[in-house]
Amino acid sequence: MFPPRLLFPLIPLLLHSHLKAQDGEQLYGLYCAACHAPDGKGATGGAFPPLAGSEWLHGNPKRSVAIVLKGLHGPIEVGGKSYNLEMPPQGDALGDDQIVAILNFVHKAWGNKGQEVKRDLVRVVRAEFTTRTTPWTAPELLKLFPFEKKPTALANLTSRVYKGQWNQTPDFTKIQSENVEEEHSGILDTALAAMKEDFGIVWEGDFMAPADGEYSFILDADDGAKLILDGKTVAEVKGLGPIDGSRVAKGKATLKAGANPIRIEYFQGKGQQGISLGWKTASTKKWQWVSASSQKNTGGNPQIPLMPQDGKTVIYRNFIKGSTARGIGFGFPGEVNMVYSADNLAPELIWAGDFMDAGLHWTNRGQGFQTPMSDEVITLTAQRSLAPTARFKGYSLDPKGNPTFHVKIDGQLLSDAFALGADGTLVRTLKLSGGTSVLEIPLGDNPSVTTEKSVSLAPDKPVTVTYKLR
Amino acid sequence: MRSLLFLAALCTATLAQQKQSDFYTIESIPLPPGEVMEMGSIALMPGDKVAVTTRRGDLWICEGAYGTDLSQVKWTRFAQGLHEPLGMYWKDGSLYLTQRPEFSRLQDSDGDGSADVFETINSDWGINGDYHEYAFGTSPDKNGDVWITLCLTGSGGAASDWRGWTVRVTPDGKMIPTCSGIRSPGGIGFNAEGDVFYTDNQGLWNGSSSLKWLKPGSFQGNPTGNKYHKLANLPAPPEPVSGSRVLAERLKFPDYIPPAIILPHGKVGQSPTAIVPDLGGGKFGPWAGQVYIGEQTHSQVQRACLEKVNGIYQGAVFHFLEGFQCGIIPAKLDERGMLFVGGSNRGWASRGNQPFNFDRVKWNGKTPFEIHTMSAQPDGFSLTFTEPVEPASAANPASYSMEAWTYILQSGYGSPEVDQATPVVKSASVAPDGKSVRLVIDGLVRSHVHHLKAPGVKSANGLTLWHPEAFYTLNEIPK
Repeated sequence: MFPPRLLFPLIPLLLHSHLKAQDGEQLYGLYCAACHAPDGKGATGGAFPPLAGSEWLHGNPKRSVAIVLKGLHGPIEVGGKSYNLEMPPQGDALGDDQIVAILNFVHKAWGNKGQEVKRDLVRVVRAEFTTRTTPWTAPELLKLFPFEKKPTALANLTSRVYKGQWNQTPDFTKIQSENVEEEHSGILDTALAAMKEDFGIVWEGDFMAPADGEYSFILDADDGAKLILDGKTVAEVKGLGPIDGSRVAKGKATLKAGANPIRIEYFQGKGQQGISLGWKTASTKKWQWVSASSQKNTGGNPQIPLMPQDGKTVIYRNFIKGSTARGIGFGFPGEVNMVYSADNLAPELIWAGDFMDAGLHWTNRGQGFQTPMSDEVITLTAQRSLAPTARFKGYSLDPKGNPTFHVKIDGQLLSDAFALGADGTLVRTLKLSGGTSVLEIPLGDNPSVTTEKSVSLAPDKPVTVTYKLR
Repeated sequence: MRSLLFLAALCTATLAQQKQSDFYTIESIPLPPGEVMEMGSIALMPGDKVAVTTRRGDLWICEGAYGTDLSQVKWTRFAQGLHEPLGMYWKDGSLYLTQRPEFSRLQDSDGDGSADVFETINSDWGINGDYHEYAFGTSPDKNGDVWITLCLTGSGGAASDWRGWTVRVTPDGKMIPTCSGIRSPGGIGFNAEGDVFYTDNQGLWNGSSSLKWLKPGSFQGNPTGNKYHKLANLPAPPEPVSGSRVLAERLKFPDYIPPAIILPHGKVGQSPTAIVPDLGGGKFGPWAGQVYIGEQTHSQVQRACLEKVNGIYQGAVFHFLEGFQCGIIPAKLDERGMLFVGGSNRGWASRGNQPFNFDRVKWNGKTPFEIHTMSAQPDGFSLTFTEPVEPASAANPASYSMEAWTYILQSGYGSPEVDQATPVVKSASVAPDGKSVRLVIDGLVRSHVHHLKAPGVKSANGLTLWHPEAFYTLNEIPK
């Protein structure tokens, strides 16, 4: 037996170091692991942001402390994947010791190399942002605590800007450039042209390969782009189109360690612009981005286009841009669509073509209003014309899914039916029953769609309005 | 020698360990292939049909969910294009839904198997397009009213009418604003007596998640929606003092009803959801009259017993079922004792790592050795057990320990556990039938969570408790 006197002083020491080492992991399991996963890779197979290998944990440790204290809101890119979630602030729920323990666990776990967080740092960051009551956004954090700038693989980079209107990447060698700049950041960014439309950029420089071997490249652009290494085209995004992953181009090249001549050609037509270029080797696995934008081709919301099935109208009741929060979208067969507002008790939007993309609302938490899948949405009316006492009473569907909306206005009932007409028209039948009042229903001012600007609706005298969409 | 003895003791303990699968079976009900079935609500229908709504706005009806061969289930889509329904019940041939913007009735008037009437019964509350403005609804109460609890706008705003309130919709479609002070509900339901409760999630003015009693006219503690008292022609409750405690504030304002049962953040889940009373008379285990509480983050179901002391509800929560494959949101208990649960972890992660689930849980008739109820006494607590205790262990005060704490009531997000106390179990007296134990305790603290641990208590058969702990919220100490 050990004499008790010898054994006892050891116990607190052992317990202390043991507990301290375990605390952070236990607390992480309790408060963080539900979302970030016990293995730090993000819950549900990475549907939530990973902490393992996260660039956000490296560099200035105040950044990690600030996030834990105040939470994080909205879009963020982690490890080349984008997320749009909500991290609740923990500063009022966790004490400084707990935050220190959790962060020191997370900063060293799973191969992370974050800096040690000292207790004083938590106190300092708390004091610094004591008046802040809202969670951070990713851009705010990067402004306060930027990532350490590392040289990218693009060295000796220059950019040339061209003016012109193209549908395909032109032969830039035959066009005179507007100006030439050195790009010491080693980052491709279309914003350098400071133009909105009809321009091109050619970047030239050296791709600094860390070793001999095969390199993979991923290129996406709005609109077109071409990647040329050692004079050979490795990847090309052709023609006009968005930077959303649907046209992404990949290619491979075998390179020698050191400088390899690289040339990137880009052109922009109208609307959105951007370029993304990443590279990796068999051993690095993750894409290394050499462009200002990288998320468009790896994340964003997946597209979930909705369309009529089996000849029946499809319904989408959600937040639709251009209508109110109580918008109800109907996609009729034959590519005719409308949104009825149960707030304003009227059809507000109509358009031809594709219906709605549910990707925004059916992934993550579904924040925001979704724009219909058309550039030519027609607003009929955008405010309520019926009396404040008018109440939405719902809708009924015929066997084809055509809706009739019901509105109660004091003693009267308004039924407002919509169905597909001939030649891509939408036919609206309004009927008023009960009472004696005549209703004036505004139809908006869209002569291309319907020449009437309003209809007078008397009880039991239905009125038909035809909206021409093509 | 000593280590051998220790090992032997450990083995005995292992043998005596009870586990969930000894009593309950969780079975996954196959879902329609290719569909994303993130669950929002469940309704039990005649003919052993079960209806579910999804967060994407579909309503499906399942036949065969009670069957012995679950591979035979048949699904029919009854409606689509609904707006995130989070409450549903069947009555007289219609399905009634609490959707985000309205309370509605769905009917299949032509009998073709899909809904064609979508009648809006009431839509008098506001929504503005913020995803957080959820609406959770009950089945009708004894008066036929449906209770709908309206989440705030975002975490801390009330930009649309009646956010932060619970309203009732009467059978004739009128909306009655009923309770204020709501933050972020995860579910609403009844206890066995038919009183209405909701679960509110940790956050602003909510130190920990809890089960709250929606006494008509009550204020639940979060002042964000108090601007709507004006709309209701009611005086607003006094603004709580940030940094105070629930007890201090409610003593100033009697309509401030404290959380009936605090579900200590992290220790008993992180996001409570559905509230399900056990009205089946013990067909789901010996818990008749108690309530079950869904838990999204930890993918669990908790069990709670409630009692009223000085007119205020309070009680204990116990860990119960765990290991669901997704975060639980809706749950319904059939009167024959079949518990249906559904889940989703879109936007809010859960321990169960599947994106959605629909499960049924059955009790196999074996009674676990467990604390059945915990109730407050002037000088301690009394415990009842599901099986007779072994008197020597249960009468030993050292078989028990207790810690107590509360939370800061503050405008910030959540709270640490504060004002810690260590009540001391002075004595434990076992009733002659061995089914209850009276604990005399020094140092009870009014309004604190009392965390009882009873690892030393053994059953007459030598078992230790399945879940050897309970969390009692002592709003009132009985006289």
